Amino acid sequence: MLASGHLANYLLLLLKGLTITLELSLGSLVLGSLGGMVLGAMRSSGWRALRAIALVYIEAVRSIPFVILLFFVFFAVPLALHIDIPPYPAAIAALSVHCSAYMGEVVRSGIESIPKGQWEAAASLGLPYYRIMRHIVLPQALRVMIPPTIGVYVSTIKESSLASVIGFVELLGQGMAIREANSLRNTADVLVAVAFGYFVICFSLSQLGRYLEHRTTHDLQPAVEPSRGAIVRPLVAGRPETQAAAMR
Amino acid sequence: MGLSDLNLRVLIPYLPVLGWGALRTLEVSALAIALSFPLGLVGALMRLSDNRLARSIATVYVEVVRNIPLLVVLYILFLVLPLYGIPINALTAGVLGLAINSTAFTIEIIRAGFAAIPPGQYEAARSLGLHRLQMLRLVIVPQVFRIVLPTLGNQIVSVVLGSAVASIIGVSELTYQTQSIGSSTFRYFELFTITALFYIACVQAISLLWRLLTGRAAHAPLGT
Repeated sequence: MLASGHLANYLLLLLKGLTITLELSLGSLVLGSLGGMVLGAMRSSGWRALRAIALVYIEAVRSIPFVILLFFVFFAVPLALHIDIPPYPAAIAALSVHCSAYMGEVVRSGIESIPKGQWEAAASLGLPYYRIMRHIVLPQALRVMIPPTIGVYVSTIKESSLASVIGFVELLGQGMAIREANSLRNTADVLVAVAFGYFVICFSLSQLGRYLEHRTTHDLQPAVEPSRGAIVRPLVAGRPETQAAAMR
Repeated sequence: MGLSDLNLRVLIPYLPVLGWGALRTLEVSALAIALSFPLGLVGALMRLSDNRLARSIATVYVEVVRNIPLLVVLYILFLVLPLYGIPINALTAGVLGLAINSTAFTIEIIRAGFAAIPPGQYEAARSLGLHRLQMLRLVIVPQVFRIVLPTLGNQIVSVVLGSAVASIIGVSELTYQTQSIGSSTFRYFELFTITALFYIACVQAISLLWRLLTGRAAHAPLGT
């Protein structure tokens, strides 16, 4: 079956790998975003303990290479807890942790971009916390959060390629397997096809982000400057307008 | 092994190896940064130039590299280049791959810095009779640098974090050494904890150092 060296014969296998990458990424992005919302709310909460826990989690995860995180979940946790963690759940868990820390930072800065006066005005109308969040803060914050969120999503999808290293056969894993198994070993074709697959996913997502950003900021006067700056507090503090580029 | 029998003592003989790995990590990162920051400036100037060809080349480069995983770039360099008669070892491929990746992000950072310079600065420089190169060298680029310094600090951090990926093609940096000691001792839990702590310390130290080094420049007032 794998006798011929022609790339066309393996396109189906690569497409299957692509859908598995999409599935892996989607699961991690959903879990990571949920975690990010919780962390972001914790970071901007009134309780010091909650703020501290979220801060330590976010800073720690953002200071560890994703490879280490993944290897820790896949190699170290099973040994320590006497459990078996197959590659798929390990990859989803590590990617979700990674994504949640970065999303926590995005959500926090989104919430903090809403001027205090809005909170005070809403509170003086007698609205409880969750209604202020839901009706006043979040609708405005979401708009500011779009560009950095897309940045985090793209980077998470790219990191998902590392799942191939722990033996999970997604797009890159599939490509490497095809390379190993047959005469395509001595060509660039498969790896270029794999690169193209990632490019299509990530580039479309970025374009979607640009469209959403344009749609939501076009005719509305946002509460804050919608520039890509001011959004995410980087590890090194600086002028907000330049921090956007670092987000991807 | 369970959490109850954590044993750090068995790792003592391996500490020098981890240390060498850590040095290699810093070396690879430093080389990649030394390559990518100047190239980033060139790329940013290309993106902003009036020359359509230069602009398209830089834009395509940024979009392509930013949307492809670093690991794929490393595999392409390490596995494909030799097929075309270009011999490349893991270290070179690792540094090159990180530099290629980092250059794309640096171009975007510096481009955003240029965009933050008010048009009045260009007009003022022109009206003083400075020609293009003088304007860039004397007026614009110094201000761009002050604006982008903090973000470049983040880029350094992300290169250090990215260098862990180079372990997969066999660059003997910290993650590689951790992994290889782990496969002979099975002390993965202790090993990865130590390594994670090293990366955290390293990243925090770089952030702090960068703030100290650039703090004054980054907070100096800009022209309007």
